[in-house]
Amino acid sequence: MKSLFVALACALPLSTFAAADVTALLKAADRYRTGDESQQVETEVTVLKRDGSTDKERRYTVFVQPQRRSLVLMRSPAEAGQKVLMLGDDFWLLLPGSQRPLRITPTQKLLGDASTGDIATMSWADDYTGTLAGEEACPGAEATRCLHLSLQAMHKAASYQRIELWLGQARHEPVAADLYVQSDKLAKQARFVVDKPGAPTRVDEMLLLDQLSTHKATRVRYVSRRPKQVPETWLNPMFLARNPAIE
Amino acid sequence: MIPPEVPAAPVHGQACTPGRLGRRSPTRRCRLSSGLAPQGDDTGGPAKPAPRCLLGCRPRGPWLLTHDTSVRVALLALSAGLLVTSAQAAGDTSAEFTLLWNERRVNTEGPLAAADLLSPGIAPPTPGGPRATAELRHVIRAPAGVSLHGNVLLAHERLEGRTGHDDSRINEMHAALDLGSWQLSAGKRVLGWDVGYAFRPNDIVQQEERRTLFAQTPEGRPLVMLEHFSTDTAWSLVWAQPQRWSDPIDTTRGARESALAARGYWRDGALDLHLFGRHGRHTGASIGAAAAWVATDELELHGSLRALERRDGSAFDAASPLVAASQPWRQTTLGRTGQALIGAQWSGAQRVSLLAELWYDGTALADQAWRQWSDRNVALIAASAHGAPALPVAGNLAWQAEALDTPNLQRRNVFLRSAWQDGPWQLSLDALLMPADSGRVVTTAVQWQGDRVRLNASWRHYGGPAGALAAQLPWRHTAAVAATIAF
Repeated sequence: MKSLFVALACALPLSTFAAADVTALLKAADRYRTGDESQQVETEVTVLKRDGSTDKERRYTVFVQPQRRSLVLMRSPAEAGQKVLMLGDDFWLLLPGSQRPLRITPTQKLLGDASTGDIATMSWADDYTGTLAGEEACPGAEATRCLHLSLQAMHKAASYQRIELWLGQARHEPVAADLYVQSDKLAKQARFVVDKPGAPTRVDEMLLLDQLSTHKATRVRYVSRRPKQVPETWLNPMFLARNPAIE
Repeated sequence: MIPPEVPAAPVHGQACTPGRLGRRSPTRRCRLSSGLAPQGDDTGGPAKPAPRCLLGCRPRGPWLLTHDTSVRVALLALSAGLLVTSAQAAGDTSAEFTLLWNERRVNTEGPLAAADLLSPGIAPPTPGGPRATAELRHVIRAPAGVSLHGNVLLAHERLEGRTGHDDSRINEMHAALDLGSWQLSAGKRVLGWDVGYAFRPNDIVQQEERRTLFAQTPEGRPLVMLEHFSTDTAWSLVWAQPQRWSDPIDTTRGARESALAARGYWRDGALDLHLFGRHGRHTGASIGAAAAWVATDELELHGSLRALERRDGSAFDAASPLVAASQPWRQTTLGRTGQALIGAQWSGAQRVSLLAELWYDGTALADQAWRQWSDRNVALIAASAHGAPALPVAGNLAWQAEALDTPNLQRRNVFLRSAWQDGPWQLSLDALLMPADSGRVVTTAVQWQGDRVRLNASWRHYGGPAGALAAQLPWRHTAAVAATIAF
């Protein structure tokens, strides 16, 4: 009877917290990744072989804008001139020389070691709702306590349909995430590296471990962030098809 | 995974190569009358020219000299502008270097093979061989919203049995003025419209080649363009080939025709809707519409329609005798017709994608015309068997093969493609099927993409029953292997 009382006492504040403050927790966690609502993020993606050596490197410029809009410019020689535009649940791929935007499906957006969705989606609060599953040891750091959130996508085209997310208990910085696709298979595991572990202000890296096919590791490094409001025309796929001079 | 963007540029820059099923370029069409003087005329008729260059030929000389004077002057001015402003303005530069080897196996069936049998060497198809290219791209952002865009292809190829030659060209060289929602541009640029992959009826400015073995940037068109963009709409007004407005019709066929074109675009969630209009100097009006819709997380549907008042095409001169003294197939302006396409693309989480497209192209020769074409082939061969002189019969058979140099051989077509991607590897298999005669063109390709290096290999087979048009093309198989390094 005593143990039941203790369990109920523990569960009550958790469920109350889940209902009211998960969104606030997600917004707090997002701030470590995005900073401002409109910004330009220079991103470097490195795919690592099983022995830890570099398999390939890619560079991206990501313009993150309000209302779930983002534009990804591929900067590496192998992909130079390619762009991906994401407007809510709608996506286009633009290839250099083609001069026409290609409509791509949410599934196509997800494919790849670090998918366009991984790179361009910087906000959980806009895309997910969920509950606080509990307080537990952080994955990979047993001595540290984390808040464990279970998130469900609010939009059909969200990169992952379910996310199990661990945030630092004190400062709510992202620590780890298990990312599940629509079939509820575990697609990737993410680990977040912050700038100052004792007093984090931003996420500097995201390490993705593929669990579906390649089982490779991918390091997504946020090289720089700065506030940037892009012109509305940049978010029109037909404008981007002109290969405009975008900085 | 990138959607199955069907390669959209010539495999080796040749526009006059039947069997590639690419768009026709009238300026590059090969003419029997441009070739050798005949060795004799044993029919008693007028001397008949024999072909020096029947298929797969191109204009000779440095690339700059093959352009119209007005275009040349404009391009030189733009080039000078690029050089002058590049010292002061920000810019982006990239480049790709490609080594490509084409291999082709000549068909032993069809009118060209029959011509060669009667008069060996009369019209040899373009052979394979190595080709080296460098595609250089540069964008200069100057003050006041001005930008200059250049894309130059330097190319050299050495076809088997022939001397090497330069095949360089300017793909793009244009200036753009950014006025916010209004955009103005002028110069030579690539402007592709429409939503299909294997066929694009509403690609009314670029008219680019589809389904080529190896994709490269197509050659742009001279144009002046005004555009307006809002969040969900776009309007484009284009004057394509303005320098050709007063040129004779015979020099402005197809994409060389001076034309005014307009495109309206609306986005409504998962639906992209386009409306098109074009007024060609001699082909008159055409209107079109296209839509692309992402129906589910995995499925995209698209379709296009176009109605044409007139169009350029090949027509047989009915007054021509069986053994004609001049090319009986002539480029001319034909009457109204229509084009339509529907397609679906499915992409699975296992990195597999499937594409299916069906289309009708009313600008292709009708079934009745192909039957007459076939009957004429038979009659020419029979005439030779009954003692008609070999050379003129062979020349006429070779002329017959020019009818095969068309974007679509048949009016009704089906295209199926599957692709699978695993890491740096992408494999694809596609088939173009022509139900009218059961002809088919089957292509398989593999690509490896590294950090800077890309390797491509592809193989294409043309086949079908003996009477199928695809089985009578100049080649039975073509293959291409390419290595590209990007900077």
